[in-house]
Amino acid sequence: MGQESFTAQKRGGGAAATLPTTTPNGGRPARSASSLLPRGRQIHKTFNNIKITILCGFVTILVLRGTIGLGNLVSSESDAVNQHLIEETNRLLDEIRSDKDPDDPDNPSEPEYNPNVTYTLGPKITNWDQERKSWLDRNPDFPNYVNGKARILLVTGSPPNPCDNAIGDHYLLKAIKNKIDYCRLHGIEIVYNMAHLDKELAGYWAKLPLIRRLMLSHPEVEWIWWMDSDALFTDMVFEVPLKKYDGYNMVIHGYPDLLFDQKSWIAVNTGSFLFRNCQWSLDLLDVWAPMGPKGPVRDEAGRVLTANLKGRPAFEADDQSALIYLFISQRNVWMDKVFVENAYFLHGYWAGLVDRYEEMIEKYHPGLGDERWPFVTHFVGCKPCGSYGDYPVEKCLRSMERAFNFADNQVLKLYGFRHRGLVSPKIKRIRNETVTPLEFVDQLDIRHSAQGSSGSQS
Amino acid sequence: MTESWFGQRRRRQLQRFLQKGKLTILCLFLTIIVLRGNLGAGKFGTPETDIEEIRETFSFYRKRVEPRRVLEEAETIKNDDASASGNNYATFDINKMFVDEEGDDIKPDPNKPYSLGPKISDWDEQRADWLKRNPNFSNFLGPNKPRVLLVTGSAPKPCENPVGDHYLLKSIKNKIDYCRLHGIELFYNMALLDAEMAGFWAKLPLIRKLLLSHPEVEFLWWMDSDAMFTDMAYEVPWERYKDRNFVMHGWNEMVYDEKNWIGLNTGSFLLRNCQWSLDILDAWAPMGPKGKVRDEAGKVLTSALKGRPVFEADDQSAMVYLLVTEKDKWAEKVYLENHYYLHGYWGILVDKYEEMMENYHPGLGDHRWPLVTHFVGCKPCGKFGDYPVERCLKQMDRAFNFGDNQILQMYGFTHKSLASRRVKRTRNETSNPLEVKDDLGLLHPAFKAVKFSNFFPLVGDITFQSGLAAECAFACQCAFMLDMDSD
Repeated sequence: MGQESFTAQKRGGGAAATLPTTTPNGGRPARSASSLLPRGRQIHKTFNNIKITILCGFVTILVLRGTIGLGNLVSSESDAVNQHLIEETNRLLDEIRSDKDPDDPDNPSEPEYNPNVTYTLGPKITNWDQERKSWLDRNPDFPNYVNGKARILLVTGSPPNPCDNAIGDHYLLKAIKNKIDYCRLHGIEIVYNMAHLDKELAGYWAKLPLIRRLMLSHPEVEWIWWMDSDALFTDMVFEVPLKKYDGYNMVIHGYPDLLFDQKSWIAVNTGSFLFRNCQWSLDLLDVWAPMGPKGPVRDEAGRVLTANLKGRPAFEADDQSALIYLFISQRNVWMDKVFVENAYFLHGYWAGLVDRYEEMIEKYHPGLGDERWPFVTHFVGCKPCGSYGDYPVEKCLRSMERAFNFADNQVLKLYGFRHRGLVSPKIKRIRNETVTPLEFVDQLDIRHSAQGSSGSQS
Repeated sequence: MTESWFGQRRRRQLQRFLQKGKLTILCLFLTIIVLRGNLGAGKFGTPETDIEEIRETFSFYRKRVEPRRVLEEAETIKNDDASASGNNYATFDINKMFVDEEGDDIKPDPNKPYSLGPKISDWDEQRADWLKRNPNFSNFLGPNKPRVLLVTGSAPKPCENPVGDHYLLKSIKNKIDYCRLHGIELFYNMALLDAEMAGFWAKLPLIRKLLLSHPEVEFLWWMDSDAMFTDMAYEVPWERYKDRNFVMHGWNEMVYDEKNWIGLNTGSFLLRNCQWSLDILDAWAPMGPKGKVRDEAGKVLTSALKGRPVFEADDQSAMVYLLVTEKDKWAEKVYLENHYYLHGYWGILVDKYEEMMENYHPGLGDHRWPLVTHFVGCKPCGKFGDYPVERCLKQMDRAFNFGDNQILQMYGFTHKSLASRRVKRTRNETSNPLEVKDDLGLLHPAFKAVKFSNFFPLVGDITFQSGLAAECAFACQCAFMLDMDSD
């Protein structure tokens, strides 16, 4: 096109130039005229040609860049930095979340567990009651009864890795705050475990070596109370009636008929139970543990349990089914010291409770602990720390939030606040500030009512 | 002839014009393509996305000036391909679940100066009276052991950073362990008591509320959520503060002489429960209310204090300013502690843990074995921190393990290394567990012994207890003059 225009121009120019000189002898003069065509013009032409060529070449390269993605050659530095940061952060998050540990390759020397040898939690102890009693006598500074109340240690925990998703960690945090509040009001100490003390007994079995270890290290503790991380206190006033269990060594929520008649795998719940610190408990732990070691032992045990317990799906042995099996098969050995409690919700299955909180607020009051105002709401099956639960996520999280706020309202009452609805993280004032705050302290502090009701000293 | 010549000329002009026009168009086309390439609208994309990208790039340049980490983006990219199943936690947006059923509180009158609550002037008397009537809730657990309430907290909504809540969980576990060993009560706050005092100021209304609701508490220990205990054996020297009401980590010269904004740290401090404390809280609060007041105050603070960057007023700078400007009123009862790390800046401590483990032992609390390692600036819960994410999180893990090792050694375990979550045995199980003593003596330490019981006194000692409590309530009175004529 360019050439044509130039030739046109040339022709035009030529025509203009040669117009007055169009004579018969035009051939040679014409040719000479065209070669003689102003040098300047030719150079000018060439320049134009080159200009256009260069421009076109440039355009082509840029278009190629844009379409074939050679854009990174000169793309903005900020893009690259941003991309790099995102990749680095993703890598860091993955590393934090993974189960990989910087020390893994260094320790292949740990002995492999031999499934032929019966697993034990530790060397057999046979005189724990005497040992403990003599220790208590020698250490009056660490009594097992404080002001008439037995010393309780609440034990809970979660895995050392971050949860598969952020919501799980958030609810672990809320759950531990809930336990901190209850325990502060009732003088109970907390141990939050984040270590796998025994790699054979991982998962739900991890509580066994932990409970044993704590019992043996803390002889001043009278009762060890295991509580799952997905269980929340919803009655901040209710206290476990320990006097009722003077002749017993284990308190667990369940139903005797489900246990002995129906042999149901959910007859009792090991998400919240109490163990007295004594020889009997050590013996029970020793007998309970053998189904735990992971691998072929746990799988095989799982099959035995599924075959013997009603309604149990097929999966590896869990501590709850194993305990039920133990209770059923060795009933005479253990059951006289086990109190299967159902007068209050030492463990309260969440599904039947969470929707009734408004009704409870209207009709009842804290301190009852039973179906009117549940002591513990336990979110079995929700598994917020994993990726998938047994129930729809929305229902689980909404219910956990409601239970948390339901309990938190009881704590905030002393301070004159309340949540703005059971699913709201925000609070509102229900009592104005005053210059005499202590009259409300006397009225509302749960510790005063708790102390009043616990009655006689030991 | 003129006409045809004119026409030809016209034609020539037209042609020339056309040629120039082609060049012009070509150049224009080139310019557009170059712009596209350079301003980042480069890959495929319609003109609409081009405009989007241009807009974004300009805003990115603005963002780049601030600190860098964009963890939220990282998380969105990760979750892009998650399934829509109802049982999957990863795809659930929890913020959609929260609903505020009741309306907002009445907006406070902007013309009235902010106050934390109605002025109380007789708190010492009220409290002493209450303690006399409630001997079971004494303010002292032992001769040199006041009842302490450790207060910490975090926001009620999940962290923006996907691993932020995990680090909050580890931090609270760390505090639970220390408090259990030392007989200190713990309060974890997740409620914003006053919307005007949001952010770092939220602790003021909370502290006041707790002091007034818990007269049995003698000292309130505020601790930030990003501070961790790294010396489990160190007991705070309470008797050193018997005539003081406010203990912070800092240096007198840096505060009173240099007026340095980091001369003290309000991330970990002790405040006695008395009238003086209520007064200082009232004097501290006015710079807090968010909005114009806080911004203006920020400017005042930046000009008055050395080294302070420009941003809204924070509680720490405001405290420095208060102490400097009203030194005569407050300094006598304020103790700026620097003999041990009531607050230990993490940057200078975390790399030395291995050296400390080799050369020293817990129970020192100072530079040899810090009591508290405080991760200022890391902000693990938020999206942006002042330091690189990797360094912050890895070092928080190390500090946590460093402290946790002291707890685990009670039970015969330790972490495999400071970076590892796994534990290994240091002591085999034995059939005589009570013969074994833990190296640090933390299982049954002296500071936990039940002389007056941790929460309630032993029966026989009630009269002695109340006598002691009453005496302490008056001897430790926080008024400017010691009030000797009571009881």
